[in-house]
Order: sequence, then structure tokens, then C-alpha cells
Amino acid sequence: MEFLTILYFVYTFIAFYFLMIYVLTYFQNRRHIYETIEPNKIRSLSIVIPCFNEEKNIGKNIEAFLASNYKGLKKLIIVDDCSTDNSYEIIKQYAKKYPRVIALQTPKNTGRAAGAKNFGIKYVKTELIGFSDADSLPNKNAISKMIGVFNDTKVGGVTSRVFVNAPKNYLTRIQAIEFKIIAFTRKLLEFLDAIYVTTGPLSIYRKKAFDQVGDFDINNLTEDIELTWHLVSKGWKVKMSIPAVIRSYVPTTIKTWFHQRIRWNVGGIQTVAKYRKKFFETGMLGIFIMPFFVLSWFLGLTGLVFLTYRLTRFIMMKFLVAKYSVAAQVALVSMEDFSLNPSILFIFGITLFSLGLAYTVVALAHSKESGRIIGHSILDIFIYSFFYLLMYPPLLIVSFYKYLRGYNTW
Amino acid sequence: MLKSKKNVLWEALIVTIVIFLIGIFLGMLIETGNSNKISNLYARSEISLADGTATLQLFEDYNLSCETIIQSNIAFANKVYDEAKLLEEYDASGKLSDSIKLLHKKYDLLRTMLWINNQNFIKICDNYNLVVYLYEYETEDTNKKATQKVFSKILLDIKMENENMILIPIAADQEIISLNLLIEEYDIKQFPAVVINNEKILYNLDDLREEFN
Repeated sequence: MEFLTILYFVYTFIAFYFLMIYVLTYFQNRRHIYETIEPNKIRSLSIVIPCFNEEKNIGKNIEAFLASNYKGLKKLIIVDDCSTDNSYEIIKQYAKKYPRVIALQTPKNTGRAAGAKNFGIKYVKTELIGFSDADSLPNKNAISKMIGVFNDTKVGGVTSRVFVNAPKNYLTRIQAIEFKIIAFTRKLLEFLDAIYVTTGPLSIYRKKAFDQVGDFDINNLTEDIELTWHLVSKGWKVKMSIPAVIRSYVPTTIKTWFHQRIRWNVGGIQTVAKYRKKFFETGMLGIFIMPFFVLSWFLGLTGLVFLTYRLTRFIMMKFLVAKYSVAAQVALVSMEDFSLNPSILFIFGITLFSLGLAYTVVALAHSKESGRIIGHSILDIFIYSFFYLLMYPPLLIVSFYKYLRGYNTW
Repeated sequence: MLKSKKNVLWEALIVTIVIFLIGIFLGMLIETGNSNKISNLYARSEISLADGTATLQLFEDYNLSCETIIQSNIAFANKVYDEAKLLEEYDASGKLSDSIKLLHKKYDLLRTMLWINNQNFIKICDNYNLVVYLYEYETEDTNKKATQKVFSKILLDIKMENENMILIPIAADQEIISLNLLIEEYDIKQFPAVVINNEKILYNLDDLREEFN
């Protein structure tokens, strides 16, 4: 058997294995996906919101949190990271009007959300501590739907489901699909105690657990991933509440989207590098989350290499055959060009892709954002599956390069 | 609790292994089926070749007409050519076993023998139209592969226009001693190459087009 064939089998085996983990987890837990646990008591909560140049969104963000039906929400600590626009003035006006709102400003710009969050943490005295982004809008019942998980004293944190706020152009519509798949996948990972990130738009932690792991790592570009791994490594469980919805703005241009994804990837690489000694250690971080994370990279990169190699050879071959055929005055296409005997590799590939597509549809069907079963056009799903996902591996390569070059810019 | 989580990981691994084994088993089954099909065709072709060799003997002993011999050889060469196309198709889809590759080599030997057989007739009969196409089977060079593909196309076109042509495609890089001796005998230095009536050797597409126009 050729080396490439063996490599392809390894690739499809790992991809099938991951898919099977999701499929089995889904079938074993599908009745619990929307489950909400009723809190056994009201736990006091403070939400810390870092803000930098968000004068357009911060007001709506504060109002959305103030409208929350969760009675234990004691403080909204808004930390302005020395904005150059009118953000801090707006925050102060809200603080004057609502006693629950605390307006803070860092002594100097920290340059990243982690810095402002760490500044705000010092003012938190409640049993729970939550974090949000200044451009995110939680549903009225989002926090209430999350708190019940803390009945279990081993739970250190809970994350929410992020929906794209007002998707307008193609890029945001595709990201809306992506975010739903991510949320669904994260929920499935929760059943394995394998959530690897508590998202920035809204996550809540037990203060005791948070104090145990310390502040956010200011040197990490994805401080939320790093914090989650830290919690899991200390034995805390992390949960996900699908009914807790928060809407967030996403990049609307390719440039900002690219920049955001590079930051996410580099942050992921930084986190793997930081926790590398935990590989294969007992606990879900070592035996599942880290291998899963790294193997996902392997899958992405191997897939890209395969695709590029095959596609390049195919295109080159077709081009040369066409060129020589024209010169020799023979037909460009003949019946011999069509094979009705697909190889086993092709059949594996098609099966894998079809299962992946089915997974996408099931995940979207579980989102029920718009009340419709899928809620997205077939064209958008097609673009997401055939083109958007193909962007992941090249982004990863650029991210690795940037990581090695010491990239650490928010 | 962790034990139950790990169970899903094991269960998924077992399901994946089962799916993979089923897939590979089915793949092997398909490839073995293809291989058996080609083997059966080969067995028949081998008989036809032996028949051809016997015919040559008869031709020399009983002075048979060239026309009869030519028609019989054309029919046999066409059959082998069609089988070669099928073999190429199965070969492209065969990934798990080397059985098709081995069959390819057997066919190349058979086609070499067919060439040798026809060499004798060409000396005896006039208006014999024998075209031997020698190509590289194992090459990874995209340019060469493309050139060979176009060679095949042109030769197929020519064959369609000349019903009396005997076209024998042979992979030249199969380490067949008799074929290597023939290649040396005709002083063929590169592939693809087209040997016309054992006299003329063409190496490029333009010459080939020109020759048959």
C-alpha cells in the first residue's frame, strides 16, 4: 500500500472516530441537550465587562444585563480600558442612574480584555463571578438558565450559547451557522466533561474556583481558553447551557475576521504550549481535551495537504492534457475520462463528508433560533461546508507561523 | 462519572474500527472481484495467444492466406486492447491490494508475446498494419503522464479510422526481460514511443499526428 494511502486511512480513521464520539454522545444524551437545572438557592453574582471604544454598544449591553430576570445579579462592573471615545462617560451615566452598575477605569490602557477583566475582578465579593463582552446582548433569562449548574459543588464554570447578532452580509451569515455548530458541539462535549473554552460573551464561574486558578493570563491571546483549561486541570467541571443565549457582533469584513481567527488560533497554540506537560495525564484535560485539540489540528493540516496535493496534480494533469490535446487536435474529453469504478478512498471520503454534512444539519436543527427547523438557506450551508471550513487549515498554518514569530497582539 | 465518559470514547473507537473493517472488507471484496474478472479475461486471452502461436505454425506449414491471419490477429489485438482499458480503470481504483498491478504485468507480458508473434507475420504478409505503443506505467511525472494520455487518445482515434490496424499498448517499465530485449533491439531510448510496423519509431505528438494524416 502506498504511503499516501496509509496516511489517508489514518486521517479518515481519526475523523470518523471524532464524528462517532459526537454521534454516540448525541444519541445517549439528546433528551438532556435543552435541560435546565433549577438553582437550589439564589447565588450572588457580579458580572465584569471590559470595554474599549464601545460607545455604540456599551449602553445596550448594560441595559440588557439590567433587564435580566436573575435576582442574584448584584453588580455590573464595567471596566473601561482607557477608551479614546465616549465609552467611559456613558458608563458613568449608567452608574449614576443604577446603583448596581459600577464604573471603573484602568490606570492605563492594558491593550487586551484580560487586563481590564483582571482589574475588575478585585471589586467582586459575590459567590459567583461572570464575564461578558461590551458588544454582547444576553437574553433576559440567559443568566437564570445558567446558575442551576452550580448546585453541583464540583462545577467551577458555565458557559452560554452565542448567536450572531443581526447577521447582514454573507460573512456574518456564514458565521451565524458556524456559531450554532460550535455551540451544539460544545454542548456534546459537556456530556464528556470536555468543554475546552468558556466563551467571552457570557461565562460565569464559582468565585472559589476562580480564585484557585488566579486571574486571566494576560499573555495569552485567548484568555478564556486558558482559564477553562486551568479550571479543568484543577479538577473543576465546566458546563454549557444551551438555553442561555447571548447575541454578539462578529467581524463583518474578511480582514477583521482573519485577524480575529489568527488571534484565536495563536491563543490556542499558546495554551497547548503552556499545558503541554498535562498531555495524557489523568483527567479529561490530559486524556481527551488536549489530544482532541491537537488531533483536530492534525486533521485540518493533513486534510489541507491532501486536498492541495490532489487538486494541484488534478489541475496540472487536466491543463497539460488539454494543452497537448489542442496541439494534437484530438478531443479534449473522451469517454475514457469518466471512471465508474470509484476507489475505496473516494467512498470513505464521500461517507465522511456526508456524515459531516448530516452533523451540520442536526446541529442547526437543534438551534431553533428562528423557529424554523434549519433556519438557514441551503446555499449558506453549502458555502459553509464547501468553502468556509476549508479556510480553517490555511489560517492554522499562518497562526503557527505567527506564533513562532512571537505574535502576541490583541 | 469519568468512567462513563471514557466509555463513550471506547464505544466510539469500537464503532469506528467496525466501520473501518467493514469498509476495508468491502473494498477488498470489490478489488478481488475486479481482479478475478481480469484474471478470467486473461485466461481467455492466454488461450487466444496460444491459438495465435499455433496458427503461425499452421501458416508456415500449410501456407494459409495472409488475409485470414490478419483478420484473426486484429480481432485478438482488439480484444486485448479492450481488456487493457478495463484493466487501467480497475487499476486506478485499486488501492488496497497489488493484485491488479501483478495482472498488469502479466498482461504486458502477453502483449509482448503478441508483438513477437506479429513480428513474424509482418515479415511474411504485406499490408500489415502493426502499431506498438510503449509507455511508462510507474511514472509520477505529470508531464509524461499527460503526454501519454494524449498519445493514447490519438492512437485510439487512429485506430477508429483504420479498422485494420493492430494496436498493442505495452508498459515498458515492468522489468520484462523479453520486452527489454526488444526495446534494446529497436534502440528505443525514451517513452512514450510508438513503433510502426517494426520500422519507424516516433517519440512526439507532432510526428505521430503527421504520420497518420
